[in-house]
Amino acid sequence: MSSPIWMITTSPAIGGALGLVEGDVEVTVLVVGDQATVDALTEAGVTALVHVPTSDTVPPEALAAQVGQLVAEASPSVVVAPARGPERALLAAAATALDAPVLPAVTSLRVDEYTVSLVRGLYGGLVAATETYSGPIAVLVDGGVAPAPTGTAVPVRQVAPSPAGLTIVSTSASQQASVDLGSATRVVAVGRGLKAREDVELIEKLAAAAGAQVGCSRPLAEGQDWFAKDQYVGISGQHIAPDLYLAIGISGQLQHMAGVRGATTIVAINADEKAPVFTECDYGLVGDLYDIVPALTAALTEVG
Amino acid sequence: MKIVIAYKWAANPQDADVAADGRIDWSRAKSGFGEYDAVAAEVARRLVDVAGGEVIGLSVGGPEIASGLARKGALSRGLDRLVIVADPSLDHADPVTTARVLAAAVEQIGDVDLVLTGDASVDVAGKIVPALLAARLGWPTLADCGQPTVTGAALTVDRATAGGRQQITVQLPAVLSTAPDAVVPRVPGMKDILAAAKRPVQELAVADLAIAPATLPVSAAVSRPQLPSRRRHMIDATDPAAAARSLVAELTAAGTL
Repeated sequence: MSSPIWMITTSPAIGGALGLVEGDVEVTVLVVGDQATVDALTEAGVTALVHVPTSDTVPPEALAAQVGQLVAEASPSVVVAPARGPERALLAAAATALDAPVLPAVTSLRVDEYTVSLVRGLYGGLVAATETYSGPIAVLVDGGVAPAPTGTAVPVRQVAPSPAGLTIVSTSASQQASVDLGSATRVVAVGRGLKAREDVELIEKLAAAAGAQVGCSRPLAEGQDWFAKDQYVGISGQHIAPDLYLAIGISGQLQHMAGVRGATTIVAINADEKAPVFTECDYGLVGDLYDIVPALTAALTEVG
Repeated sequence: MKIVIAYKWAANPQDADVAADGRIDWSRAKSGFGEYDAVAAEVARRLVDVAGGEVIGLSVGGPEIASGLARKGALSRGLDRLVIVADPSLDHADPVTTARVLAAAVEQIGDVDLVLTGDASVDVAGKIVPALLAARLGWPTLADCGQPTVTGAALTVDRATAGGRQQITVQLPAVLSTAPDAVVPRVPGMKDILAAAKRPVQELAVADLAIAPATLPVSAAVSRPQLPSRRRHMIDATDPAAAARSLVAELTAAGTL
């Protein structure tokens, strides 16, 4: 008896993906990765695990054709994968083997007896589509973090790997601390309200006092080299979900707010009281950022 | 080496307007050659500079991609020639259909060693078309690739992973998508734009490629995205210092700080 949902992953970070499946549906997780990933998921509350091991020389993508075959044999209603590089290669192989459509940016999923219903973002979240399918589909979702163990271990079916086309010849660990807005708990982002490049320091000081990462809106990421491209928050940039988001000098167009939809608390500081950001925030301060930002930095430093 | 750059001539959703009923108005948004596609074109140029061969641009989409502007926009990026599949039925086509048409065109071009793509399209950004194309062709695929180097009949690719970097030998033919920072693409000059007008463009008819129809949903509706409702608590900022202290106090009381 096969599960209606198969989830493909190369890492334990599938807590978010499991969370967006509505109701009590059986999920088989196909781990294309190392033993540690399997160990981290045996007690995650899923129905079953299938393991195709990678190694120091075999990357997950080398097993794509085999993954396609395995999934096609199980013939699930939905194949789910977190939207990460290696998983995309594996999901594409599975979708092709199943002759299924591939739907990116799915945010909720419900499997019924004969149909699958879902909500997904189109064009980076510009609009949301609500759809129902009658045949098998493949979906990309936000993986999230590793799920918490529920206490009962499930059986693991081991499958011998048959890699093709790709061989790892060497591996090096990262030493560069890149800006990772996606996992930051606090983010301070600045927009067109910032007048000069040297004023970025003002924002960096506030971020340091708040223990936050620094992001920016689109006008500051394009045409100017004030910020790195991966600091741009918005529809065609980063989609983030911090506990606290401070939007400074950002007007708050739909395209920007779609990128911070997941934030728990949004604070907006803007000189224009009519800025749309004030309808999408939890706390709003109307005023000149050049007055408010230093005051806020001082207030945060006082609290420590 | 025969390299195909699969690129997308599309508009940025950032410039589109959305009506209350969820309908998208693209009229204000101008299409262009993708910023990430330019990275792939530069990677291809550098490979061919060393290994010899040609770089062929390949695009699939609505009639707009066959316009003079779109042709020149692509060819000025250092592509030797273009192959275009333009058809009204392919305007905003789904990823599987796009990959099917690309695969048929790659087979038609023949003897292709490598398909390179940018990191993501500017509009959909699902990053799935390269992998679907590879699956259809039965070729290996990798994403987030740096500039590859030629080692005999294979390529060596440096790619970023969650924990660092890997050097991977890739058997050809293959489909690779390049990282946004793989190389810095050159900006086309007047000479490139003038030369672009003289390079050949071949149009393939989608009807000749025998593409299976896309799987459609049994029901579908679009809407403006539901943003969570917020408290909208305004703090008087006439006195910035007092306002800042009040905000910090509120955030601390709410457990946010």
